[in-house]
Amino acid sequence: MITAHHYLAVAAMLFGIGLAGALTRRNSILVLMSIELMLNAANLNLVAFGRQAGWEQGSQAALWVMCAIAIAAAESGVGLALILAIYRHRRSAHLDESPPLKG
Amino acid sequence: MNYGAIAWALAPEAILALTALAVLGMDAALARRWSVPVRWRAAVAAGVAGCLGALVWMAAADPPGRLAGGMLVLDDASRFVCQALAVLTMASLVLSIETALTEHIGEYVALMLLATVGLMLMAGAENMVLVYASLELASLSLYALAAFQRESRHGLEAALKYFLLGGMSSAFLLYGMSALYGLSGEVELSRMAPKLARLGMDPLLIVALASVVVGLGFKVAVVPFHLWAPDVYQAAPLPTAALVASGSKMASFYLLIRFMLEGFPELAGRADWRGWEGGWMPLLGMAAALSIGLGNLVALVQSSVRRLLAYSAIAHAGYALLGVMAGNAEGTAAVVYYLSTYALAVIGAFGVAGIVERNSGGDRLENFAGLWQRSPLLAACLFVFILSLAGLPPLAGFVGKFAVFAAAAGAGGGGLGLIWLIAWALGMSAVSLYYYLQVLKQAYVREAEAGRGSSAAWRVLPATRVVLLGLAVAVVLLGCFPGGVLSWLRAALGS
Repeated sequence: MITAHHYLAVAAMLFGIGLAGALTRRNSILVLMSIELMLNAANLNLVAFGRQAGWEQGSQAALWVMCAIAIAAAESGVGLALILAIYRHRRSAHLDESPPLKG
Repeated sequence: MNYGAIAWALAPEAILALTALAVLGMDAALARRWSVPVRWRAAVAAGVAGCLGALVWMAAADPPGRLAGGMLVLDDASRFVCQALAVLTMASLVLSIETALTEHIGEYVALMLLATVGLMLMAGAENMVLVYASLELASLSLYALAAFQRESRHGLEAALKYFLLGGMSSAFLLYGMSALYGLSGEVELSRMAPKLARLGMDPLLIVALASVVVGLGFKVAVVPFHLWAPDVYQAAPLPTAALVASGSKMASFYLLIRFMLEGFPELAGRADWRGWEGGWMPLLGMAAALSIGLGNLVALVQSSVRRLLAYSAIAHAGYALLGVMAGNAEGTAAVVYYLSTYALAVIGAFGVAGIVERNSGGDRLENFAGLWQRSPLLAACLFVFILSLAGLPPLAGFVGKFAVFAAAAGAGGGGLGLIWLIAWALGMSAVSLYYYLQVLKQAYVREAEAGRGSSAAWRVLPATRVVLLGLAVAVVLLGCFPGGVLSWLRAALGS
């Protein structure tokens, strides 16, 4: 029997994988993909909780997930445009090929 | 649900959004016929008119209160934040005529207005779906605004850093909010609070709380989530940096306060000296102590004025967290007052830095040398802004800081309470005087270098002059007569 806890575990794993990728990858497109994984972990959480709450209560979660997916699409649009603009300057999508900005 | 009432209540946001579309259309229609400077003036004039329209509407109409079953709460206090945001956007828009950074004028002004719509909705959102949507509307607009100078590689890299770290932070926020929804079954902050209080310290709740603090910590730029701030402040187009430093910080702080005080009032914990208890107070207390220390110490060694302002902004975020930690209406009123005065001063300082940058080719401390001879008005405005940021009486920055510290000291409830953090903040404020006075020393004491057209006066547009002067007068007036605004805010938040 698959319960909400199973979904939560998968979502937590997805979030962890995404976070690890976002922090360690040097290619900006891969970082963007990792961020999308993190967002999808949250979406999976919401869907699981919505299902658990039943149709009446859970519809809020379904609407929220729809909004979140649309926003994530807009976010990757902005992100890819930015990466493309930088690519025109330095012919690469790697984060550490230029002297990095000082922290 | 009454949709007419919602449309009526959201009229200020609608005015701004429609102005954004109108500016886009107007600029596209006139692009061939008018020269770039004229188009800048026309687009900014339209944008400012939209902001004024929204301001007048908000001043004239009564705040509608709770709407759509508590999805939006547009009370007096959030209306005050919205009005402040409209004023800050107006100032940033006027500064962008001076910088004339791009030929895509319609898009730039429209995105500024849309970012403001997002920030204004953030100040009123009470429903987590709306919180996420409005936060992303504001953030995505700001990412694009930060990348507008496509020929500047440094600016683009700062924008990419801002985008990647901001994207990660919003993923944290969404993950935290999804867990909160799962635990409480509610999407509204005020309805969520009693259900969460019954759970006690559930492990999932701790994860959710930490994720929300991480997500919002990025937006308000406190240590250790501050990495994007210095680069964006330094390399992004100047009006964008000014809006990120002022409006975005203010709206994000207001959202943070709402989340903490309405969503988790029972999970505050304690951050007293030797009296720590789990909750969000210790998290914010650590972030505040680190931000105040790191921001002020790293600002000491900066040679770029915009970068210096960025580190000082990190320190100011730390001071403002003290007011959040007071955890009552007085603390919230103090933070809102503090951030609005801070925002006025920081936009002004960015405006002066922008003029210096355009005329002398950089924003390093040396570029400010002899500012007094070149333009007494600019130097006088800079004097007011910098001393207000440093928190010297009788300027607004002093009153704001005092109110925040007093609220934090009063909220201790016996014992030493937050005194340790206040003492740390006071000590570090003394340190911060050094770098603020460095800027003024360059502007007033040093002679202008011969090579940079020493005696020639710098040209400043009349509109920029009016805005800078207005900001300086506002900072002085809010410092000399703070009582009315502060007590009004306390009453609005206490009810």
